[in-house]
Amino acid sequence: MTLLTIDGLQMYYRSDDGYVRAADDINLELESGQTLGLVGESGSGKTTIARSIIRLLPDNAEVIDGSIDFDGTEVTDLSDRELRKQIRWREVSMIPQNAMNGFDPVYTVGQQIVQAIRYHEKETSKREARDRARDLFDELGIEPDRIDDYPHQFSGGMAQRAMIALALCLEPRLILADEPTTALDVVIQDRILQTIKRMQAEIDSAMILITHDISVVSETADRIAVCYGGRIVEQADSATIIKNPRHPYTLGLRNAFPDIGDEDDDLISIPGTPPELVDPGEGCRFAPRCPFAEEECWEETPKPEEYGDGHIVRCHRADEADLLREQATEKATWDGMRDKVRQSISRGED
Amino acid sequence: MGLREYVIRRVFQLILTLWTLVTLLFILFRMVPGDPTSRFVMDYPSDAERQARIEELGLNEPLYIQYIEYMGQLLQGEFGDSAHYRQPVSEIIFPLFLNTIVLMFTALIIAYTVGILFGAAMGWFRGSRFERVGIIATLVARASPEFWIGIILVWIFVFQLGLFPRSGIGGYGGELTMNFVDRYINFDFLRHLILPALTGAIVYLATPALLMRNTMLEVLKADFVEIKQAEGLPERTVLYKHAARNSILPLVTVAAIATGAAMGGSVIIETVFNWPGVGREMVASVSRNDYPVAMAAFLLMGTSVIVMNFVADILYLYLDPRVKYE
Repeated sequence: MTLLTIDGLQMYYRSDDGYVRAADDINLELESGQTLGLVGESGSGKTTIARSIIRLLPDNAEVIDGSIDFDGTEVTDLSDRELRKQIRWREVSMIPQNAMNGFDPVYTVGQQIVQAIRYHEKETSKREARDRARDLFDELGIEPDRIDDYPHQFSGGMAQRAMIALALCLEPRLILADEPTTALDVVIQDRILQTIKRMQAEIDSAMILITHDISVVSETADRIAVCYGGRIVEQADSATIIKNPRHPYTLGLRNAFPDIGDEDDDLISIPGTPPELVDPGEGCRFAPRCPFAEEECWEETPKPEEYGDGHIVRCHRADEADLLREQATEKATWDGMRDKVRQSISRGED
Repeated sequence: MGLREYVIRRVFQLILTLWTLVTLLFILFRMVPGDPTSRFVMDYPSDAERQARIEELGLNEPLYIQYIEYMGQLLQGEFGDSAHYRQPVSEIIFPLFLNTIVLMFTALIIAYTVGILFGAAMGWFRGSRFERVGIIATLVARASPEFWIGIILVWIFVFQLGLFPRSGIGGYGGELTMNFVDRYINFDFLRHLILPALTGAIVYLATPALLMRNTMLEVLKADFVEIKQAEGLPERTVLYKHAARNSILPLVTVAAIATGAAMGGSVIIETVFNWPGVGREMVASVSRNDYPVAMAAFLLMGTSVIVMNFVADILYLYLDPRVKYE
């Protein structure tokens, strides 16, 4: 069953220089119980896309076009009040990057979980809400009595677990996990991810996992959408994205993460910086950094094309994926690009 | 370290600070040139009379004896006798001190209640016209001298509108003899209280208002504000229960310190409104070289500041669970 359909969403931020096109022509679908990984660098629009669903955006954010359908409800049409009562936390909850800062420091974690439960379930008694919080803690591997502790009394990993308890207390159908493990050390990262997966399966909720680390989502997500410059440049099931990517940016992202097993493998980074999203003009937004860019890429915005079974790519040269894939593993391909970027900067053409 | 030990240690520090204050005051006042007899330099008193008076006051004793005697007196709650009134200082100073406290706390309560609400609103409506006008208004109020505000208020409310009495605290000059209830719990006293309290409130309003606005802006950036909104909680819950509640913490300390500032400000406000308080008496006693009264006045004001700081520290323990007892 399709839980979430985002169709042609344009979410822009108003600014003095004009609109910042943070999310441009976004199309996404999410089945219930599924996990979608949103991958991209900072400013790629991944957080904007996810937060649009609960409209948790700055005041200057504006839906220009498109729709967000959450299980038959058009979210963009809801009033603030309806959104708060029907969607936020009850249906869609969220796990922030830094759980320690996600809790109000002056109340105990238990008080905050109980408050969230009781606001949305008026009939639940304080005692029942507390018991539920204790049960959640127990399942997440925290001593239940610790619900009476203040956030600062938790360690980083523990606070993240407590945050998961808060996110799950109403058994939402969608969890937005915004870099949930980035602030943690690597050993704990994996354990937290496993915990999130386990709990998610238990209450059968879907998840959007936002991260800049493609290796995090490769294990956790069913589907991956790669964001660049406010657009989704490629999306497919995880295996396809990892093994058979077609977009040059995805190819570059794969290179940027080390394979510990392969010592000879030099890290290859993508030269250049993310695009300016105020008035970016026509053309592929990755073109300035893309070693495979041709004239067409600069002039015409590539449309999303499907390459079999939900593999959607926005690239003029996606047909030549086999060739690109081969060249992209060579350092020289990207180094050549690096020189070009440097020249264009020194000529003031950037 | 447990809560109890922390409080005990803090009390110990309090006592030490008070002792330092008393000693400093004692030394300072003995360093000041002149004594209570040096005011009348022309004919009176004669040298013999003067000498007798000095002995009567104990000023001929060595300094350390005077110090020990003074400390001994203080421990018994006595400040000695006033050289001017020829009366025990405590009888003079405590009723005056009470008057000052009533005036200043009224002013501070108004200033902090209005200031916190106003400041929270300014933070929440950041970038609005309301915020801009609000900031300018508070800064103007803050920059204005107390006596000037007092005079303006008197001009408007006394001379133009005739709403309030000009000065004093009412009670037909018997303000020092009446008991507490008779003195403060009546309409006449309230009418006398309004203008000086308002003057103080206007001056003290800026600190809590601007500080509240600033901390609100900081707190509103915190992740938890966003999470509380994501939880679907109503805006007023997020604003008051979470954002404002966190912003109020720094104000507790400032409020305590402001009490000290208010005590200083009371000197001027009391003079403008002829309010029989310890501030006015302090000025008068210093110009009379009446050490015992002046020292008692300084001591009371200093003690208020120290005690209020102590109260702030203890309050903080309850308001902010992150405070460690170190």
